[in-house]
Amino acid sequence: MATGAARSAAPPAGLSRDDLLKIYYYLRLTRSLEERLVNLYRQTKVIGGLYRSLGQEGESVASAYALRDGDILSPLIRNLGAMLVRGAKPVEVLRQYMAKATGPTAGREMNVHFNDLRLGYLGQISHLGDMVPVMSGMALSFKMRKERRVGLVYLGDGATSTGAFHEGLNFAAVQRLPLVVIVEHNGYAYSTPTSQQTAVARLADKAKAYGIPGVTVDGNDVLATYEVAREAIERARNGSGVTLIEAVTYRRAGHAEHDDQRYQPKDEIAEWERRDPVTRYVDRLLADGWARQRELTDIDQRVISQLDQAVAECENDPLPDGASALASVYRTPSSAEPLWYRRV
Amino acid sequence: MYYFMRLTRSLEERLVAWYRQGRIPGGVFRSLGQEAAAVGSAYALGPDDVCSPVIRDLGSMLVRGAKPPQVFRQYQGKAGSPTRGRDLHVMFSDLGRGYLGHIAPLGVMLPVIAGVALSFKLNREPRVVLAYSGDGATSTGAFHEGLNFASVQRLPLVVLVENNGFAYSTPTGSETVIEHLSDKAAGYGIPGVSVDGNDVLEVHQVTRAALEKARSGNGVTLIEAVTYRRAGHAEHDDQRYQSKDEIAEWERRDPVTRYVDRLVTEGWADPGKLADLDHRVTSELDQAVAACENDPLPDPGTALTDVYANPATAEPLWYRSI
Repeated sequence: MATGAARSAAPPAGLSRDDLLKIYYYLRLTRSLEERLVNLYRQTKVIGGLYRSLGQEGESVASAYALRDGDILSPLIRNLGAMLVRGAKPVEVLRQYMAKATGPTAGREMNVHFNDLRLGYLGQISHLGDMVPVMSGMALSFKMRKERRVGLVYLGDGATSTGAFHEGLNFAAVQRLPLVVIVEHNGYAYSTPTSQQTAVARLADKAKAYGIPGVTVDGNDVLATYEVAREAIERARNGSGVTLIEAVTYRRAGHAEHDDQRYQPKDEIAEWERRDPVTRYVDRLLADGWARQRELTDIDQRVISQLDQAVAECENDPLPDGASALASVYRTPSSAEPLWYRRV
Repeated sequence: MYYFMRLTRSLEERLVAWYRQGRIPGGVFRSLGQEAAAVGSAYALGPDDVCSPVIRDLGSMLVRGAKPPQVFRQYQGKAGSPTRGRDLHVMFSDLGRGYLGHIAPLGVMLPVIAGVALSFKLNREPRVVLAYSGDGATSTGAFHEGLNFASVQRLPLVVLVENNGFAYSTPTGSETVIEHLSDKAAGYGIPGVSVDGNDVLEVHQVTRAALEKARSGNGVTLIEAVTYRRAGHAEHDDQRYQSKDEIAEWERRDPVTRYVDRLVTEGWADPGKLADLDHRVTSELDQAVAACENDPLPDPGTALTDVYANPATAEPLWYRSI
């Protein structure tokens, strides 16, 4: 695309050019890190499943970018992008996926299930919807302590059918807690299409049942998602309560790497590839003159070398020692003999 | 319908008398002020339909054919009760008459009922289920999961939420943000309608329309019956959180009184006929009380019957040997 005269229009939503480039960096980092993980997975170096966010990076990065220091994020399995925005390190993510003893959970938890409350993200409970009551509790603590902090919790389309989602959201709504709930509507709950999941026309319509505003946004439009998220986050911070955001997107790589996606038509996947959030964002930045191709290519290079270093740093780290299996599980014994379970 | 409302109210008055004599093990959870919501709706059911009452829906069970002696025996925990003295108050089923005994935790019946409705659909039977719920129950996860499933599957189900203003002592305004619980239907992609729950004719009419909609394959409806429970959560509740003015206000809107006024004003019934029904109820209840007042309680030796296959019975104080 042309690198000619930059438009004089300012970037939207109060973002600086620097912010726009940072957002691009996180988009690229998320996608490329997952590509490395796929490589490692195919080499059987990843322990457990690999649940990509291919096609969803836009809404994950954009929404997390709208948070401020002190806010707490509750990511789900496809929110690696959000965690990276908050400061999670690629090397930590790699160690988690490879279940290394040196990882954030010492090899005990898989993939993105790890916390850093200082940086502001929780490790998720797998069961979908369960994080909504948890984050309502966090948001309640902010309100009771009169802190101007906000909680942001993600869930999938399928999770909106769960009891935990319902109970947590109703409570947060009636208590006017500083919470933003983002439903990443990617069309499927594993293999269940949304049309078989629930009868509403738009998932944002579910907000009506809780007496809160519901907003639908094109989740593959990075800047639109950022704006909607930012508005909801600031509403929450100002004491105006909960917002439900439906970010319409699509997961192109299926439920996980072990999913053959037979229930997703190939032309549907191709259609959404044409609406890829990263490609659209690049096109927008260049077309509106907010970035030059060279800057973006530099970021791509930086990401590649960052990932090269991260992989090199941890690829040969050890797995956890079997005898340490009970450490941090029970107070005593704090360590276990090999094959201890055979005595139970 | 007048008969059933009067029967419900008078039966509960007998229970309150017994309760004060210490003759009821467990609680008495009256439906004083809510009788129209239960009776009016249940009266619209077809003979092969099923209803799922909760604790304040004695009226619906009586409409379906539950008999006062059965209810009395349940409340007194008699050995001859429908649950052989093992379950209390209105927690008993009669699938032949078309009602299920409820599970106490609120909202939990919704997924159960969705399953019943699913069986009707799979078997292509023109039958419908009517599930009752309280206002507080609409906040529960089970309510949400059951209703969402039934809605997306377009099952033959009608859900009647009796909004009586309180979940025990939690007023509905502290329960959820929205004012009209029928608005919760929007979260499930189904129609929601609010009715005056103390107008038995309106309740009946709206329920009947919803049942026919479900029967013809057009899916779930959520009905909110706005009403009020004048006797608190239960007889053991002193109702300190309910203002006396509020209770008095709702007494002026009593469903039975309003119905009588309507029947008489419109010339649909004369007071003499209604008085006859009152007498009938009184003597029916007298007979029912006499029939079971002195029935025995369950023999402790039968405590394990129907619990385990083996042993089918237990010796007295069996648990002390564990």
